[in-house]
Amino acid sequence: MSLTQTLVNSLSAAAVYALVALGFALIYNTVRFFHFAHGIVFTGGAYFVFLLKVWLGFPLFFSIIVAIGLSAILGCLIEISIYRRLRHKGASSLILLLASLGVYVVLQNIVSMVFGDDIKTIRSGMVEEGINILGTKVTPIQIAIIAVSLSLLVSCFLFLKYTKIGQSMRAVANDPELACASGIESDRVILATFALGSALAGIAGILVALDVDMSPTMGMNALMMGVVAVIIGGVGSIPGVALGALLLGMAQHLGVWKISSQWQDAIAFVILLIFLLFRPQGFLGRKIKKVTI
Amino acid sequence: MEYLLHILILIGIYIILSVSLNLVVGYSGLLSIAHAAFYGVGAYVAALLALKLHSPFLLNIICAVILSGLLGALVGIPSLRIRDDYFAIATFAFQVITFSVMNNWVSFTGGPMGLPGIPQPTIFGLEINTHYRFLSLVFVLGVIVLWVCHKIVNSPFGRVLKSIREDEIFAQAQGKNVASCKVLVFVIGAGMASVAGVMYAYYISFIDPTSFTIMESIFILSIVIIGGAGNIWGSVLAAAVLVILPEALRFLGMPSSIAANMRQIIYGALLVILMLFRPQGFIGEYAFKK
Repeated sequence: MSLTQTLVNSLSAAAVYALVALGFALIYNTVRFFHFAHGIVFTGGAYFVFLLKVWLGFPLFFSIIVAIGLSAILGCLIEISIYRRLRHKGASSLILLLASLGVYVVLQNIVSMVFGDDIKTIRSGMVEEGINILGTKVTPIQIAIIAVSLSLLVSCFLFLKYTKIGQSMRAVANDPELACASGIESDRVILATFALGSALAGIAGILVALDVDMSPTMGMNALMMGVVAVIIGGVGSIPGVALGALLLGMAQHLGVWKISSQWQDAIAFVILLIFLLFRPQGFLGRKIKKVTI
Repeated sequence: MEYLLHILILIGIYIILSVSLNLVVGYSGLLSIAHAAFYGVGAYVAALLALKLHSPFLLNIICAVILSGLLGALVGIPSLRIRDDYFAIATFAFQVITFSVMNNWVSFTGGPMGLPGIPQPTIFGLEINTHYRFLSLVFVLGVIVLWVCHKIVNSPFGRVLKSIREDEIFAQAQGKNVASCKVLVFVIGAGMASVAGVMYAYYISFIDPTSFTIMESIFILSIVIIGGAGNIWGSVLAAAVLVILPEALRFLGMPSSIAANMRQIIYGALLVILMLFRPQGFIGEYAFKK
Protein backbone atom coordinates (compact mmCIF):
# COMPACT_ATOMS: atom_id res chain seq x y z
CA MET A 1 0.00 0.00 0.00
CA SER A 2 1.40 3.39 -0.94
CA LEU A 3 1.89 6.25 1.48
CA THR A 4 -0.72 8.43 -0.19
CA GLN A 5 -3.25 5.59 0.05
CA THR A 6 -2.49 5.29 3.75
CA LEU A 7 -3.01 9.02 4.13
CA VAL A 8 -6.39 8.91 2.39
CA ASN A 9 -7.51 5.98 4.53
CA SER A 10 -6.39 7.66 7.70
CA LEU A 11 -8.15 10.88 6.72
CA SER A 12 -11.47 9.14 6.20
CA ALA A 13 -11.08 7.21 9.45
CA ALA A 14 -10.17 10.43 11.23
CA ALA A 15 -13.24 12.13 9.77
CA VAL A 16 -15.54 9.54 11.37
CA TYR A 17 -13.69 9.66 14.70
CA ALA A 18 -13.95 13.44 14.65
CA LEU A 19 -17.75 13.33 14.24
CA VAL A 20 -18.22 10.84 17.09
CA ALA A 21 -15.70 12.69 19.22
CA LEU A 22 -17.30 16.07 18.56
CA GLY A 23 -20.72 14.89 19.70
CA PHE A 24 -19.21 13.15 22.69
CA ALA A 25 -17.13 16.20 23.66
CA LEU A 26 -20.08 18.59 23.36
CA ILE A 27 -22.07 16.42 25.73
CA TYR A 28 -19.14 15.76 28.05
CA ASN A 29 -18.42 19.46 28.37
CA THR A 30 -21.92 20.37 29.47
CA VAL A 31 -22.70 17.43 31.75
CA ARG A 32 -19.19 16.30 32.80
CA PHE A 33 -19.54 12.53 32.64
CA PHE A 34 -18.69 9.82 30.13
CA HIS A 35 -21.85 9.25 28.14
CA PHE A 36 -21.29 5.64 27.03
CA ALA A 37 -24.73 5.43 25.50
CA HIS A 38 -23.41 7.81 22.85
CA GLY A 39 -22.15 4.63 21.17
CA ILE A 40 -25.64 3.21 20.88
CA VAL A 41 -26.94 6.44 19.35
CA PHE A 42 -24.27 5.95 16.68
CA THR A 43 -25.51 2.38 16.07
CA GLY A 44 -29.06 3.72 16.18
CA GLY A 45 -28.40 6.13 13.31
CA ALA A 46 -27.34 3.27 11.05
CA TYR A 47 -30.19 0.97 12.06
CA PHE A 48 -32.83 3.70 11.70
CA VAL A 49 -31.75 4.05 8.08
CA PHE A 50 -31.91 0.28 7.66
CA LEU A 51 -35.39 0.22 9.20
CA LEU A 52 -36.69 3.02 6.99
CA LYS A 53 -35.00 2.04 3.75
CA VAL A 54 -35.00 -1.75 3.73
CA TRP A 55 -37.98 -2.64 5.94
CA LEU A 56 -40.31 0.26 5.12
CA GLY A 57 -39.07 0.95 1.59
CA PHE A 58 -38.45 4.69 1.79
CA PRO A 59 -35.86 6.23 -0.54
CA LEU A 60 -32.31 6.39 0.83
CA PHE A 61 -32.00 10.17 1.06
CA PHE A 62 -35.30 10.56 2.92
CA SER A 63 -34.36 7.70 5.27
CA ILE A 64 -31.06 9.32 6.12
CA ILE A 65 -32.66 12.68 6.98
CA VAL A 66 -35.32 11.06 9.18
CA ALA A 67 -32.74 8.78 10.81
CA ILE A 68 -30.61 11.75 11.83
CA GLY A 69 -33.69 13.28 13.46
CA LEU A 70 -34.51 9.99 15.19
CA SER A 71 -30.95 9.74 16.56
CA ALA A 72 -31.30 13.22 18.03
CA ILE A 73 -34.62 12.21 19.59
CA LEU A 74 -33.07 9.03 21.00
CA GLY A 75 -30.31 11.04 22.68
CA CYS A 76 -32.85 13.49 24.11
CA LEU A 77 -35.04 10.67 25.44
CA ILE A 78 -32.08 9.15 27.29
CA GLU A 79 -31.26 12.57 28.74
CA ILE A 80 -34.81 13.38 29.83
CA SER A 81 -35.73 9.98 31.20
CA ILE A 82 -32.50 9.14 33.02
CA TYR A 83 -29.67 11.63 33.15
CA ARG A 84 -31.82 14.65 34.07
CA ARG A 85 -33.37 12.84 37.01
CA LEU A 86 -29.98 11.70 38.23
CA ARG A 87 -28.60 15.22 37.89
CA HIS A 88 -31.43 16.68 39.90
CA LYS A 89 -30.62 14.21 42.65
CA GLY A 90 -27.06 15.47 42.65
CA ALA A 91 -25.61 12.16 41.44
CA SER A 92 -21.84 11.91 41.00
CA SER A 93 -20.21 11.45 37.61
CA LEU A 94 -19.49 7.79 38.44
CA ILE A 95 -23.20 7.11 38.97
CA LEU A 96 -24.03 8.77 35.68
CA LEU A 97 -21.30 6.74 33.97
CA LEU A 98 -22.69 3.49 35.38
CA ALA A 99 -26.23 4.43 34.35
CA SER A 100 -25.03 5.20 30.83
CA LEU A 101 -23.30 1.80 30.67
CA GLY A 102 -26.62 0.24 31.63
CA VAL A 103 -28.44 2.21 28.93
CA TYR A 104 -25.86 1.09 26.39
CA VAL A 105 -26.22 -2.58 27.31
CA VAL A 106 -30.02 -2.48 27.20
CA LEU A 107 -30.26 -0.69 23.86
CA GLN A 108 -27.54 -2.74 22.15
CA ASN A 109 -29.37 -5.92 23.08
CA ILE A 110 -32.67 -4.51 21.88
CA VAL A 111 -31.01 -3.74 18.53
CA SER A 112 -29.63 -7.24 18.27
CA MET A 113 -32.97 -8.80 19.23
CA VAL A 114 -34.92 -6.75 16.70
CA PHE A 115 -32.49 -6.81 13.79
CA GLY A 116 -30.36 -9.88 14.52
CA ASP A 117 -26.63 -10.13 15.08
CA ASP A 118 -25.65 -10.58 11.46
CA ILE A 119 -24.24 -7.81 9.30
CA LYS A 120 -26.87 -5.63 7.60
CA THR A 121 -26.32 -3.41 4.62
CA ILE A 122 -27.92 -0.25 3.27
CA ARG A 123 -25.63 0.00 0.27
CA SER A 124 -27.36 -0.56 -3.02
CA GLY A 125 -25.84 -2.39 -5.93
CA MET A 126 -22.26 -3.25 -6.53
CA VAL A 127 -19.22 -2.12 -4.64
CA GLU A 128 -18.07 1.01 -6.41
CA GLU A 129 -14.63 1.14 -7.88
CA GLY A 130 -12.63 3.97 -6.35
CA ILE A 131 -11.81 7.07 -8.34
CA ASN A 132 -8.17 7.32 -9.22
CA ILE A 133 -6.55 10.51 -7.96
CA LEU A 134 -2.78 10.73 -8.33
CA GLY A 135 -2.39 6.97 -8.20
CA THR A 136 -4.56 6.69 -5.09
CA LYS A 137 -7.96 4.97 -4.96
CA VAL A 138 -10.60 7.12 -3.28
CA THR A 139 -14.18 5.84 -3.06
CA PRO A 140 -17.04 8.35 -3.38
CA ILE A 141 -18.20 7.53 0.12
CA GLN A 142 -14.74 8.32 1.50
CA ILE A 143 -14.93 11.74 -0.15
CA ALA A 144 -18.43 12.22 1.27
CA ILE A 145 -17.27 11.24 4.76
CA ILE A 146 -14.39 13.70 4.70
CA ALA A 147 -16.51 16.53 3.25
CA VAL A 148 -19.42 16.03 5.66
CA SER A 149 -17.15 15.78 8.65
CA LEU A 150 -15.14 18.87 7.78
CA SER A 151 -18.18 21.00 7.12
CA LEU A 152 -19.87 19.83 10.33
CA LEU A 153 -16.77 20.58 12.38
CA VAL A 154 -16.57 24.09 10.97
CA SER A 155 -20.27 24.79 11.37
CA CYS A 156 -20.28 23.51 14.95
CA PHE A 157 -17.33 25.73 15.73
CA LEU A 158 -19.16 28.76 14.32
CA PHE A 159 -22.42 27.69 15.96
CA LEU A 160 -20.86 27.56 19.42
CA LYS A 161 -19.04 30.81 18.92
CA TYR A 162 -21.69 33.08 17.40
CA THR A 163 -25.24 31.86 18.03
CA LYS A 164 -27.12 32.57 21.22
CA ILE A 165 -27.83 28.92 22.01
CA GLY A 166 -24.23 28.02 21.22
CA GLN A 167 -22.99 30.66 23.62
CA SER A 168 -25.27 29.42 26.36
CA MET A 169 -23.94 25.89 25.78
CA ARG A 170 -20.47 27.19 26.39
CA ALA A 171 -21.67 29.09 29.44
CA VAL A 172 -23.19 25.97 30.97
CA ALA A 173 -20.03 24.02 30.11
CA ASN A 174 -17.92 26.63 31.78
CA ASP A 175 -19.82 27.09 35.00
CA PRO A 176 -23.34 25.67 35.41
CA GLU A 177 -24.16 27.68 38.50
CA LEU A 178 -23.03 30.98 37.08
CA ALA A 179 -24.91 30.22 33.87
CA CYS A 180 -28.01 29.53 35.93
CA ALA A 181 -27.54 32.78 37.83
CA SER A 182 -27.37 34.75 34.62
CA GLY A 183 -30.73 33.43 33.49
CA ILE A 184 -29.78 30.46 31.35
CA GLU A 185 -32.03 27.47 31.80
CA SER A 186 -29.40 24.79 32.04
CA ASP A 187 -31.78 21.85 31.49
CA ARG A 188 -32.90 23.24 28.17
CA VAL A 189 -29.37 23.98 27.07
CA ILE A 190 -28.26 20.47 28.04
CA LEU A 191 -31.20 19.04 26.11
CA ALA A 192 -30.14 21.02 23.06
CA THR A 193 -26.60 19.74 23.49
CA PHE A 194 -27.85 16.17 23.59
CA ALA A 195 -29.89 16.75 20.45
CA LEU A 196 -26.91 18.20 18.59
CA GLY A 197 -24.38 15.66 19.86
CA SER A 198 -26.68 12.71 19.17
CA ALA A 199 -27.45 13.96 15.66
CA LEU A 200 -23.69 14.07 15.02
CA ALA A 201 -23.33 10.52 16.33
CA GLY A 202 -26.21 9.39 14.13
CA ILE A 203 -24.62 11.00 11.07
CA ALA A 204 -21.31 9.27 11.83
CA GLY A 205 -23.09 5.94 12.22
CA ILE A 206 -24.87 6.34 8.89
CA LEU A 207 -21.64 7.28 7.10
CA VAL A 208 -19.86 4.24 8.52
CA ALA A 209 -22.78 2.00 7.56
CA LEU A 210 -22.65 3.37 3.99
CA ASP A 211 -18.95 2.59 3.92
CA VAL A 212 -18.61 -0.78 5.68
CA ASP A 213 -22.15 -1.95 6.68
CA MET A 214 -23.48 -2.36 10.22
CA SER A 215 -23.72 -4.74 13.15
CA PRO A 216 -25.21 -4.19 16.64
CA THR A 217 -21.79 -3.85 18.27
CA MET A 218 -20.44 -1.22 15.87
CA GLY A 219 -21.18 1.58 18.33
CA MET A 220 -18.85 0.38 21.06
CA ASN A 221 -15.84 0.51 18.77
CA ALA A 222 -16.76 3.90 17.34
CA LEU A 223 -17.36 5.28 20.81
CA MET A 224 -14.00 4.03 22.02
CA MET A 225 -12.22 5.77 19.17
CA GLY A 226 -14.23 8.92 19.79
CA VAL A 227 -13.26 8.92 23.47
CA VAL A 228 -9.60 8.39 22.60
CA ALA A 229 -9.74 11.25 20.09
CA VAL A 230 -11.35 13.56 22.65
CA ILE A 231 -8.84 12.77 25.36
CA ILE A 232 -5.72 13.07 23.20
CA GLY A 233 -7.03 16.21 21.52
CA GLY A 234 -8.05 17.90 24.73
CA VAL A 235 -11.57 18.06 26.11
CA GLY A 236 -13.30 21.34 25.51
CA SER A 237 -12.00 22.57 22.21
CA ILE A 238 -13.28 21.73 18.73
CA PRO A 239 -9.89 22.19 17.02
CA GLY A 240 -8.50 19.90 19.71
CA VAL A 241 -11.08 17.21 18.90
CA ALA A 242 -10.30 17.47 15.19
CA LEU A 243 -6.58 17.30 15.86
CA GLY A 244 -7.02 14.33 18.20
CA ALA A 245 -9.07 12.45 15.62
CA LEU A 246 -6.53 13.22 12.93
CA LEU A 247 -3.62 12.05 15.07
CA LEU A 248 -5.48 8.89 16.02
CA GLY A 249 -6.37 8.09 12.42
CA MET A 250 -2.81 8.71 11.26
CA ALA A 251 -1.23 6.68 14.07
CA GLN A 252 -3.55 3.76 13.44
CA HIS A 253 -3.09 3.68 9.69
CA LEU A 254 0.62 4.32 9.73
CA GLY A 255 0.80 1.50 12.27
CA VAL A 256 -1.20 -0.71 9.93
CA TRP A 257 1.16 0.22 7.15
CA LYS A 258 3.98 -1.39 9.12
CA ILE A 259 2.26 -4.04 11.23
CA SER A 260 -0.98 -5.88 10.61
CA SER A 261 -4.37 -4.23 10.75
CA GLN A 262 -5.90 -6.09 13.73
CA TRP A 263 -3.69 -4.09 16.07
CA GLN A 264 -5.59 -0.81 15.41
CA ASP A 265 -7.52 -0.94 18.69
CA ALA A 266 -4.42 -1.77 20.68
CA ILE A 267 -2.50 1.11 19.08
CA ALA A 268 -5.31 3.54 19.88
CA PHE A 269 -5.48 2.50 23.50
CA VAL A 270 -1.77 2.46 24.08
CA ILE A 271 -1.76 6.08 22.85
CA LEU A 272 -4.68 6.80 25.18
CA LEU A 273 -2.87 5.33 28.19
CA ILE A 274 0.23 7.36 27.42
CA PHE A 275 -1.84 10.53 27.27
CA LEU A 276 -3.80 9.70 30.41
CA LEU A 277 -0.59 9.18 32.33
CA PHE A 278 1.52 12.02 31.06
CA ARG A 279 -0.81 14.63 29.63
CA PRO A 280 -4.39 13.98 30.76
CA GLN A 281 -5.53 17.37 29.50
CA GLY A 282 -4.63 16.38 25.92
CA PHE A 283 -2.90 18.42 23.27
CA LEU A 284 -4.96 21.58 23.32
CA GLY A 285 -6.72 21.26 26.64
CA ARG A 286 -6.15 23.45 29.63
CA LYS A 287 -4.65 21.91 32.72
CA ILE A 288 -7.40 20.33 34.78
CA LYS A 289 -7.08 19.76 38.44
CA LYS A 290 -9.81 18.27 40.51
CA VAL A 291 -9.69 19.61 43.99
CA THR A 292 -11.85 17.81 46.52
CA ILE A 293 -11.82 19.08 50.02
CA MET B 1 -28.02 -33.37 37.51
CA GLU B 2 -24.87 -32.51 35.58
CA TYR B 3 -26.67 -29.43 34.36
CA LEU B 4 -27.34 -28.34 37.91
CA LEU B 5 -23.70 -28.93 38.87
CA HIS B 6 -22.61 -26.95 35.81
CA ILE B 7 -24.67 -23.97 36.95
CA LEU B 8 -23.28 -24.23 40.46
CA ILE B 9 -19.69 -24.28 39.12
CA LEU B 10 -20.39 -21.16 37.03
CA ILE B 11 -21.92 -19.46 40.07
CA GLY B 12 -18.76 -20.29 42.01
CA ILE B 13 -16.56 -18.76 39.32
CA TYR B 14 -18.64 -15.59 39.19
CA ILE B 15 -18.67 -15.31 42.96
CA ILE B 16 -14.86 -15.28 42.93
CA LEU B 17 -14.89 -12.65 40.17
CA SER B 18 -17.46 -10.35 41.72
CA VAL B 19 -16.17 -10.55 45.28
CA SER B 20 -12.65 -9.70 44.15
CA LEU B 21 -13.92 -6.80 42.03
CA ASN B 22 -15.92 -5.60 45.00
CA LEU B 23 -12.68 -5.15 46.94
CA VAL B 24 -11.53 -2.73 44.24
CA VAL B 25 -14.80 -0.99 43.34
CA GLY B 26 -16.86 -1.23 46.48
CA TYR B 27 -14.28 -0.97 49.25
CA SER B 28 -11.69 1.26 47.60
CA GLY B 29 -13.96 3.26 45.29
CA LEU B 30 -11.82 2.65 42.19
CA LEU B 31 -14.22 2.03 39.32
CA SER B 32 -12.58 -0.64 37.17
CA ILE B 33 -13.94 -1.90 33.84
CA ALA B 34 -11.06 -4.33 33.36
CA HIS B 35 -11.90 -7.33 35.49
CA ALA B 36 -12.53 -9.64 32.55
CA ALA B 37 -9.00 -8.87 31.40
CA PHE B 38 -7.50 -10.32 34.60
CA TYR B 39 -9.97 -13.20 34.41
CA GLY B 40 -8.71 -13.84 30.87
CA VAL B 41 -5.05 -13.51 31.81
CA GLY B 42 -5.56 -16.20 34.46
CA ALA B 43 -7.28 -18.48 31.98
CA TYR B 44 -4.66 -18.00 29.28
CA VAL B 45 -1.67 -18.39 31.60
CA ALA B 46 -3.04 -21.65 32.99
CA ALA B 47 -4.05 -22.97 29.58
CA LEU B 48 -0.72 -22.14 27.96
CA LEU B 49 1.32 -23.62 30.80
CA ALA B 50 -0.79 -26.77 30.84
CA LEU B 51 -0.69 -27.21 27.06
CA LYS B 52 2.89 -26.24 26.31
CA LEU B 53 4.82 -27.20 29.45
CA HIS B 54 2.42 -29.79 30.93
CA SER B 55 3.05 -28.22 34.30
CA PRO B 56 0.88 -29.24 37.28
CA PHE B 57 -2.32 -27.46 38.24
CA LEU B 58 -1.16 -25.94 41.50
CA LEU B 59 1.95 -24.44 39.91
CA ASN B 60 -0.17 -22.98 37.08
CA ILE B 61 -2.56 -21.36 39.48
CA ILE B 62 0.34 -19.74 41.34
CA CYS B 63 1.91 -18.49 38.09
CA ALA B 64 -1.45 -17.10 36.95
CA VAL B 65 -1.97 -15.25 40.22
CA ILE B 66 1.54 -13.77 40.15
CA LEU B 67 1.38 -12.61 36.52
CA SER B 68 -2.11 -11.24 36.87
CA GLY B 69 -1.10 -9.50 40.07
CA LEU B 70 1.80 -7.82 38.32
CA LEU B 71 -0.53 -6.62 35.58
CA GLY B 72 -2.87 -5.44 38.33
CA ALA B 73 -0.07 -3.28 39.70
CA LEU B 74 0.46 -1.89 36.23
CA VAL B 75 -3.20 -0.87 36.04
CA GLY B 76 -3.31 0.29 39.63
CA ILE B 77 -0.43 2.72 39.25
CA PRO B 78 -2.34 5.14 36.97
CA SER B 79 -4.91 5.48 39.78
CA LEU B 80 -2.32 7.55 41.59
CA ARG B 81 -2.33 10.17 38.87
CA ILE B 82 -5.83 10.10 37.47
CA ARG B 83 -9.06 9.61 39.31
CA ASP B 84 -12.76 8.78 39.09
CA ASP B 85 -14.08 8.56 35.57
CA TYR B 86 -10.73 9.15 33.94
CA PHE B 87 -9.40 6.17 35.84
CA ALA B 88 -12.39 4.11 34.64
CA ILE B 89 -11.41 5.00 31.08
CA ALA B 90 -7.81 3.92 31.75
CA THR B 91 -8.99 0.50 32.95
CA PHE B 92 -11.24 0.35 29.90
CA ALA B 93 -8.13 0.90 27.76
CA PHE B 94 -6.32 -1.93 29.54
CA GLN B 95 -9.29 -4.21 28.90
CA VAL B 96 -9.26 -3.44 25.17
CA ILE B 97 -5.50 -3.93 24.86
CA THR B 98 -5.60 -7.27 26.69
CA PHE B 99 -8.44 -8.50 24.50
CA SER B 100 -6.53 -7.35 21.46
CA VAL B 101 -3.46 -9.36 22.48
CA MET B 102 -5.56 -12.49 23.13
CA ASN B 103 -7.29 -12.07 19.81
CA ASN B 104 -4.37 -11.09 17.59
CA TRP B 105 -1.25 -12.78 18.87
CA VAL B 106 -2.28 -15.86 16.94
CA SER B 107 0.99 -17.80 17.15
CA PHE B 108 0.94 -17.66 20.95
CA THR B 109 -2.68 -17.46 22.10
CA GLY B 110 -4.35 -19.16 19.16
CA GLY B 111 -6.20 -15.94 18.30
CA PRO B 112 -9.95 -16.20 17.64
CA MET B 113 -9.62 -19.99 17.36
CA GLY B 114 -8.74 -20.12 21.04
CA LEU B 115 -6.91 -22.88 22.88
CA PRO B 116 -8.66 -26.28 22.79
CA GLY B 117 -7.86 -29.46 24.68
CA ILE B 118 -6.79 -28.14 28.08
CA PRO B 119 -6.10 -31.29 30.16
CA GLN B 120 -7.98 -32.09 33.36
CA PRO B 121 -6.19 -30.95 36.49
CA THR B 122 -4.61 -33.35 38.96
CA ILE B 123 -4.05 -32.36 42.59
CA PHE B 124 -1.83 -34.64 44.69
CA GLY B 125 -2.61 -37.57 42.41
CA LEU B 126 -6.36 -36.96 42.48
CA GLU B 127 -7.72 -36.36 39.03
CA ILE B 128 -10.44 -33.71 38.85
CA ASN B 129 -12.48 -35.30 36.12
CA THR B 130 -16.10 -35.24 37.21
CA HIS B 131 -18.52 -32.39 37.75
CA TYR B 132 -18.67 -33.24 41.46
CA ARG B 133 -14.92 -32.93 41.87
CA PHE B 134 -14.83 -29.68 39.89
CA LEU B 135 -17.59 -28.27 42.03
CA SER B 136 -15.71 -29.21 45.19
CA LEU B 137 -12.56 -27.56 43.86
CA VAL B 138 -14.40 -24.36 42.91
CA PHE B 139 -16.13 -24.46 46.28
CA VAL B 140 -12.84 -24.74 48.15
CA LEU B 141 -11.23 -21.92 46.13
CA GLY B 142 -14.35 -19.78 46.48
CA VAL B 143 -14.35 -20.24 50.26
CA ILE B 144 -10.66 -19.32 50.39
CA VAL B 145 -11.30 -16.16 48.34
CA LEU B 146 -14.29 -15.22 50.49
CA TRP B 147 -12.36 -15.84 53.67
CA VAL B 148 -9.41 -13.73 52.50
CA CYS B 149 -11.73 -10.91 51.41
CA HIS B 150 -13.60 -11.07 54.69
CA LYS B 151 -10.31 -10.87 56.60
CA ILE B 152 -9.09 -7.98 54.43
CA VAL B 153 -12.16 -5.81 54.78
CA ASN B 154 -12.23 -6.23 58.54
CA SER B 155 -8.54 -5.56 58.95
CA PRO B 156 -6.85 -2.18 59.49
CA PHE B 157 -5.90 -2.32 55.79
CA GLY B 158 -9.57 -2.69 54.88
CA ARG B 159 -10.46 0.33 56.97
CA VAL B 160 -7.77 2.36 55.22
CA LEU B 161 -9.32 1.32 51.90
CA LYS B 162 -12.72 2.52 53.05
CA SER B 163 -11.27 5.80 54.22
CA ILE B 164 -9.64 6.30 50.81
CA ARG B 165 -13.02 5.69 49.23
CA GLU B 166 -14.77 8.18 51.48
CA ASP B 167 -12.12 10.90 51.55
CA GLU B 168 -8.72 10.37 50.07
CA ILE B 169 -7.18 13.58 51.32
CA PHE B 170 -8.32 12.82 54.85
CA ALA B 171 -6.75 9.36 54.64
CA GLN B 172 -3.53 10.97 53.52
CA ALA B 173 -3.70 13.46 56.33
CA GLN B 174 -3.92 10.55 58.76
CA GLY B 175 -0.52 9.43 57.56
CA LYS B 176 -1.82 6.48 55.53
CA ASN B 177 0.12 5.49 52.45
CA VAL B 178 -2.77 5.92 50.05
CA ALA B 179 -0.71 5.17 46.94
CA SER B 180 0.56 1.77 48.01
CA CYS B 181 -2.84 0.77 49.41
CA LYS B 182 -4.53 1.51 46.11
CA VAL B 183 -1.99 -0.46 44.10
CA LEU B 184 -2.05 -3.32 46.59
CA VAL B 185 -5.83 -3.71 46.46
CA PHE B 186 -5.65 -3.76 42.69
CA VAL B 187 -3.01 -6.50 42.80
CA ILE B 188 -5.13 -8.57 45.19
CA GLY B 189 -8.27 -8.13 43.09
CA ALA B 190 -6.46 -9.03 39.89
CA GLY B 191 -4.84 -12.09 41.46
CA MET B 192 -8.19 -13.40 42.70
CA ALA B 193 -9.82 -12.80 39.33
CA SER B 194 -7.11 -14.90 37.70
CA VAL B 195 -8.01 -17.80 40.02
CA ALA B 196 -11.49 -17.71 38.52
CA GLY B 197 -9.90 -17.65 35.07
CA VAL B 198 -7.77 -20.72 35.82
CA MET B 199 -10.83 -22.61 37.01
CA TYR B 200 -12.79 -21.59 33.94
CA ALA B 201 -10.02 -22.73 31.58
CA TYR B 202 -9.67 -26.14 33.24
CA TYR B 203 -13.39 -26.67 33.59
CA ILE B 204 -14.46 -25.80 30.04
CA SER B 205 -11.13 -27.18 28.68
CA PHE B 206 -11.36 -24.66 25.85
CA ILE B 207 -10.88 -20.91 25.93
CA ASP B 208 -11.18 -18.18 23.34
CA PRO B 209 -11.09 -14.37 23.60
CA THR B 210 -14.89 -13.94 23.38
CA SER B 211 -15.22 -15.00 27.03
CA PHE B 212 -13.12 -12.04 28.17
CA THR B 213 -14.61 -9.05 26.36
CA ILE B 214 -15.53 -5.60 27.54
CA MET B 215 -19.15 -6.79 27.87
CA GLU B 216 -17.96 -9.47 30.29
CA SER B 217 -16.22 -6.77 32.32
CA ILE B 218 -19.41 -4.74 32.36
CA PHE B 219 -21.31 -7.85 33.45
CA ILE B 220 -18.98 -8.50 36.39
CA LEU B 221 -19.16 -4.83 37.34
CA SER B 222 -22.96 -5.01 37.19
CA ILE B 223 -22.96 -7.97 39.60
CA VAL B 224 -20.98 -5.88 42.08
CA ILE B 225 -23.16 -2.79 41.66
CA ILE B 226 -26.45 -4.68 41.74
CA GLY B 227 -25.49 -6.75 44.78
CA GLY B 228 -24.13 -3.70 46.50
CA ALA B 229 -20.76 -1.99 46.43
CA GLY B 230 -18.93 -2.50 49.68
CA ASN B 231 -20.70 -5.68 50.73
CA ILE B 232 -19.21 -9.11 49.98
CA TRP B 233 -22.46 -11.01 50.56
CA GLY B 234 -24.28 -8.74 48.15
CA SER B 235 -21.87 -9.82 45.44
CA VAL B 236 -22.32 -13.49 46.30
CA LEU B 237 -26.08 -13.17 46.12
CA ALA B 238 -26.10 -11.12 42.92
CA ALA B 239 -23.67 -13.50 41.20
CA ALA B 240 -25.97 -16.42 41.96
CA VAL B 241 -29.09 -14.58 40.79
CA LEU B 242 -27.59 -13.20 37.58
CA VAL B 243 -26.05 -16.54 36.56
CA ILE B 244 -29.29 -18.42 37.19
CA LEU B 245 -31.37 -15.76 35.41
CA PRO B 246 -30.81 -16.84 31.75
CA GLU B 247 -31.35 -20.48 32.72
CA ALA B 248 -34.58 -19.54 34.44
CA LEU B 249 -35.67 -17.64 31.32
CA ARG B 250 -34.93 -20.73 29.25
CA PHE B 251 -37.13 -22.80 31.55
CA LEU B 252 -39.93 -20.33 30.93
CA GLY B 253 -39.74 -21.38 27.28
CA MET B 254 -37.62 -18.57 25.90
CA PRO B 255 -35.28 -19.65 23.10
CA SER B 256 -31.69 -19.52 24.29
CA SER B 257 -30.62 -16.92 21.72
CA ILE B 258 -33.21 -14.49 23.08
CA ALA B 259 -32.50 -15.53 26.66
CA ALA B 260 -28.89 -14.36 26.28
CA ASN B 261 -30.05 -10.93 25.09
CA MET B 262 -32.77 -10.85 27.75
CA ARG B 263 -30.19 -11.46 30.47
CA GLN B 264 -28.15 -8.50 29.32
CA ILE B 265 -31.23 -6.32 29.01
CA ILE B 266 -32.28 -7.23 32.53
CA TYR B 267 -28.94 -6.48 34.16
CA GLY B 268 -28.51 -3.30 32.09
CA ALA B 269 -31.97 -2.13 33.14
CA LEU B 270 -31.28 -3.10 36.76
CA LEU B 271 -28.12 -1.02 36.62
CA VAL B 272 -30.04 2.04 35.41
CA ILE B 273 -32.92 1.57 37.87
CA LEU B 274 -30.58 1.08 40.82
CA MET B 275 -28.60 4.18 39.90
CA LEU B 276 -31.86 6.12 39.85
CA PHE B 277 -33.35 4.83 43.08
CA ARG B 278 -30.75 2.95 45.08
CA PRO B 279 -27.16 3.63 43.98
CA GLN B 280 -25.74 1.54 46.81
CA GLY B 281 -27.26 -1.63 45.32
CA PHE B 282 -29.47 -4.12 47.10
CA ILE B 283 -27.41 -4.57 50.26
CA GLY B 284 -24.40 -2.34 49.74
CA GLU B 285 -23.08 0.55 51.73
CA TYR B 286 -21.20 2.67 49.19
CA ALA B 287 -23.14 4.90 46.77
CA PHE B 288 -20.37 6.48 44.64
CA LYS B 289 -20.70 9.87 46.25
CA LYS B 290 -17.77 12.12 45.65
